[in-house]
Amino acid sequence: MSENPFPLSKDDLLKAYRTMRTIRDFEERLHIDFAKGDIPGFVHLYAGEEACATGIMMHLNDNDRIASTHRGHGHCIAKGVDVHAMMAEIYGRSTGACRGKGGSMHIADLSKGMMGANGILGAGAPLICGAALAAKVRGDRGVGITFVGDGASNQGTFLESLNLAAVWNLPVVFVVENNGYAESTAMEWAVSCDSYVDRATGFGMPGVTVDGTDLFAVHEAAGEIIRRARDGGGPALLECNMVRFYGHFEGDAQTYRAKGEVEALRASRDCLVMLAERVVEAGVVARDELHRIDREVADLIEDAVRAAKAAPLPAPSELLTDVYVSY
Amino acid sequence: MAPVVGIVANPVSARDIRRVVANATSLQVTDRANILLRVLAALRACGVADVLMMPENGGIRSHVERGLARARAQGDDLYPAIHAVAMPITGTVADTHRATREMRLAGASAIVVLGGDGTHRAVAAECGAVPIAGISTGTNNAFPDHREPTITGLATGLAVMGRVPPHIAFRGNKRIDVSINDGATTDLALVDVALVTERYIGARALWRTENFRELYVTFADPEVIGMSAIAGLLEPVARDESGGLMVRLSPAGRTPSDGATILRAPIAPGMMASIGVTDWRRMPADVAFVPEVASGSIALDGEREISFTTRDRLSLTLRDHAFRTVNVGGCMRFAAQNRLFTDAPAPVSADF
Repeated sequence: MSENPFPLSKDDLLKAYRTMRTIRDFEERLHIDFAKGDIPGFVHLYAGEEACATGIMMHLNDNDRIASTHRGHGHCIAKGVDVHAMMAEIYGRSTGACRGKGGSMHIADLSKGMMGANGILGAGAPLICGAALAAKVRGDRGVGITFVGDGASNQGTFLESLNLAAVWNLPVVFVVENNGYAESTAMEWAVSCDSYVDRATGFGMPGVTVDGTDLFAVHEAAGEIIRRARDGGGPALLECNMVRFYGHFEGDAQTYRAKGEVEALRASRDCLVMLAERVVEAGVVARDELHRIDREVADLIEDAVRAAKAAPLPAPSELLTDVYVSY
Repeated sequence: MAPVVGIVANPVSARDIRRVVANATSLQVTDRANILLRVLAALRACGVADVLMMPENGGIRSHVERGLARARAQGDDLYPAIHAVAMPITGTVADTHRATREMRLAGASAIVVLGGDGTHRAVAAECGAVPIAGISTGTNNAFPDHREPTITGLATGLAVMGRVPPHIAFRGNKRIDVSINDGATTDLALVDVALVTERYIGARALWRTENFRELYVTFADPEVIGMSAIAGLLEPVARDESGGLMVRLSPAGRTPSDGATILRAPIAPGMMASIGVTDWRRMPADVAFVPEVASGSIALDGEREISFTTRDRLSLTLRDHAFRTVNVGGCMRFAAQNRLFTDAPAPVSADF
C-alpha cells in the first residue's frame, strides 16, 4: 500500500465508503420495492447525494443532533441509525425505528442524535435551534446540524432560524443540499437572492459553498465549520452542490429534466464511484477491499428487507400510542 | 466594426472556506449585479453600444436584467445592448473558458472580468491577445486592482473606442506556466504557484501554513494578501519588471533556532500566520524551475488545483508579456491630461 495522501486514515476511508455504499444500496432497493408496491406512503431517495451526509456526519458524535428533511434516509444512515430499524419503519412494521407509524419521512432515533426526518419543509431548522440552545446552555460542546433543500430554504421557518441562531450565537450548521431542483422548480426561478450563501451573509453568518459530490471537499469544509461551532464561534451555512439520481419522489415522471441528464450525472458525478477510484488509484485501498464491503452491504440490505417483510404491522390497538409525549 | 466588449462575471467566487477560517468578504450576487450595472453605464458613457456576456445561472444575469428593466421603465438610456454568448451552461469553470473563447472569436476588443484570481486565470487561459479589465469580487485577490468598477468601465470604454493610444491603454502581464510530465498536463497561474504537502484538493483554499513548501510568484507585493504577500514582504517584485520570485518554505520554521527566517504574513483576510522561510531568489523569465517537493498539491493563485505524486515531473516557467490588461490608471490619466471628458476636448498630445 502507498503512503496515504488523504486527510482521512485508511480505516476512516473504508468507513466512509461503507456508509456511502449502504445509503446507495438502501435507496436503490427502495426504488425497486416501491415500484412493486411493497412500500406504503411516499419515498424520496438520497441516491447521488451520499458524500454530503457522510462527509458531514464523520465529524459528529451521538451527542450532536441533526434535524433532517423528507429526503432523510442518507442522513439517518450516516448518523448511525440502525438499517434494519429504518427498513422496517419504511415498510410500516412494528419493529421499525418509530414502531412503523412514522414511515420514510419520520424516521427518528434520539439515541443517535437523529431528531427526525420531517415531512414539513423547513421544519427542522427551528428544531435544531432548540437542540443547539440546549447544548449551549449545558455547555457540553454539542452541535446541531439541520438540512434543507433548495426549496425549503425559502420557508419562513428557515429564515427565522438563521436569524435566531445568529442572534443567540448558537452552535448550528445550516446545510443547504442544493441538487438544483425544488421538487421540479429550478432554483433560478424561485430564489430571489439567487444564492444560499447570500442568505447567510444577510443574517451575519459565514456561508461556504462546496462541491457536494466530493467527499473530501465536504469533509474538510464541514470539519472547519463544525469545529468553529463547537468552540463557540457560532452558526454558519454550508451549501453543498450535488446531484439527484432519482425524481423528487418515487413515481416522479421528471418531465422537467433534460433528456439524458440523469445518465450524464451518473457517468460523470457519481460521488461513490469518484471516491472509490481516488482511493484505489492512490494505492491506499485495494479494489478487493471495496468489493468486500459491497458484498457485506448487499447482504445487510437483503437481510433488512427480509426482516422487515417478516415483521408484523402495528396492531390497531396501538393507533393512539406514541402520538403525544407528556413532559 | 463598432467595438464589442465581453463580460465574464463569476457568480460563485468568494464562497470558499475562508469565510469560516478567516473573516473574508462574502460579496452578494445583488452586489455583483450592481457592479456590473455600473460598468455597463460607464462603457455606454464612452460610446460602447454592445456587450457580449457570459451566460450563467447564478443570478447575476437575472438581477442585471431587472436593473435594465427598471431603467427602461424610467425612460433612461444608460446601458449598452447586452447579448448573451450562445453556449450551454455547466456551472463550472468550463463556462468561463468557453465564453472567453467565444468572445475572442467574435472579435471582442476587451473582456471585463468580475471574479477572483481564479476567474481571471480562467479568462487569461483563453483570451489570447484580447485585453482583460479585471474587477475583484473574490477573496485573496492579488491580480485585479481594487478600485471602483465605474472607473474600470470608463477606462475600458476609452481604450476600446480608440480614445487612448494602445501603448498607454494596455500593458503586458506575467504568468507562470505549469507543466507536468513534459506537457501531458499543463496549467497556468497569474500571480502564484504554491506547492503544498496536502495531496488532495478538498476545499481548495490555502490556510494551513505548516503544509506550505515552495512558492513561485509573478510579482511580490507587500500591499496584497495571500501568497504574493509572503514573497512581497521578503523582496518586492513589481508587476511591470521582468521575472518573479521563488521562495522555499520550512515546516519547521516556527522557532528561530532551526535557522529559518520567521515571517508573519497576511495569508488570508484578517489572518496573520507565521511561516518559516528557508531562502528565496529571483525567478527569471523563460527559465524552467523544477520544484524539490516530491508529492503534494499544486495551488494556482491560492487554490489547490492539481495533486501530484513522486511519479510526476513538474516544471514551472515564468513568461513576461504573456497577456494584456487594460491599464486603467494610464487610461484615466491620459483622459484627464487630454480632457477627454470635457465638452470640448483639448488636442491630443503629440505622442498619440
